[in-house]
Amino acid sequence: MDPTAPLFAGPPAAHGIHWLAVLALIVGGAAAVLLLWGLIRGRLPASYAVAAVVLPVAAYGLASLHMLEGSKQVTFCGSCHVMTPILKSLQSNDGSLAAIHDARGLVPHDQACFTCHSGYGIWGGVDAKMAGVMHMVRTATGWYTLPITHNGPFDINSCLGCHASASSFRAVEAHQDPDLQKQLLSHEIGCTGICHPAAHPEAALTGGGAS
Amino acid sequence: MMRLACFFGLIALAALGLLLVRLDGATAIVFSFVGFPALGLALALYAWARWRAGAFRLDPPAR
Repeated sequence: MDPTAPLFAGPPAAHGIHWLAVLALIVGGAAAVLLLWGLIRGRLPASYAVAAVVLPVAAYGLASLHMLEGSKQVTFCGSCHVMTPILKSLQSNDGSLAAIHDARGLVPHDQACFTCHSGYGIWGGVDAKMAGVMHMVRTATGWYTLPITHNGPFDINSCLGCHASASSFRAVEAHQDPDLQKQLLSHEIGCTGICHPAAHPEAALTGGGAS
Repeated sequence: MMRLACFFGLIALAALGLLLVRLDGATAIVFSFVGFPALGLALALYAWARWRAGAFRLDPPAR
């Protein structure tokens, strides 16, 4: 038995192509045929005028939804070279806080990055997508410095969203200290550094090169 | 004008095809920063070509 194979495989189509991608491909293919016709003939019949606008726009809408959903995957985050060492660290169980969460199954393996970095609640996801656009701008323009750092204090609500109601968390004496709670909520201190190991090892933040 | 609009539209669809075949950071960047502007340009050029042809006027010019 392959030790890396999933213990419980899903249905046959579970790991196949996402239906949004298939739909976007069909609509985009139809749009491409129409535009190719327009390119060769130099004009489009008036009866196809609406289709020439609607089909490409619909294909882009579907592909955008596919990208929004697919960009939650750790493989997507790790596909940019700056993030690749972080992904390797996450999956190597090296004792960092992120690796501990991943190894113990405390976060979904395929969406580990998004789970912690998206913030809590519906706006957390929106903020994460906006931050993702800036990540793409910075990656495309090289507008970043190594080692990479988190933009502002980490949103502790991402941690508390899961941990705050856990009995094991509440049982810890330090967590019951009102002063500590105030400091945490005001971002004066974070969970990592003093009490808990760093989220990611320093070596993983250098983009694979020397720090 | 119409050929140019179709050309940019096809560039946009090529970026879309890349994204659908392989979704990663590189293709997402191409889709967002090449595909979307190309699609916008194609739509603008197409709208302009249609306007010149009298599509959006109540009294279209005589051909």
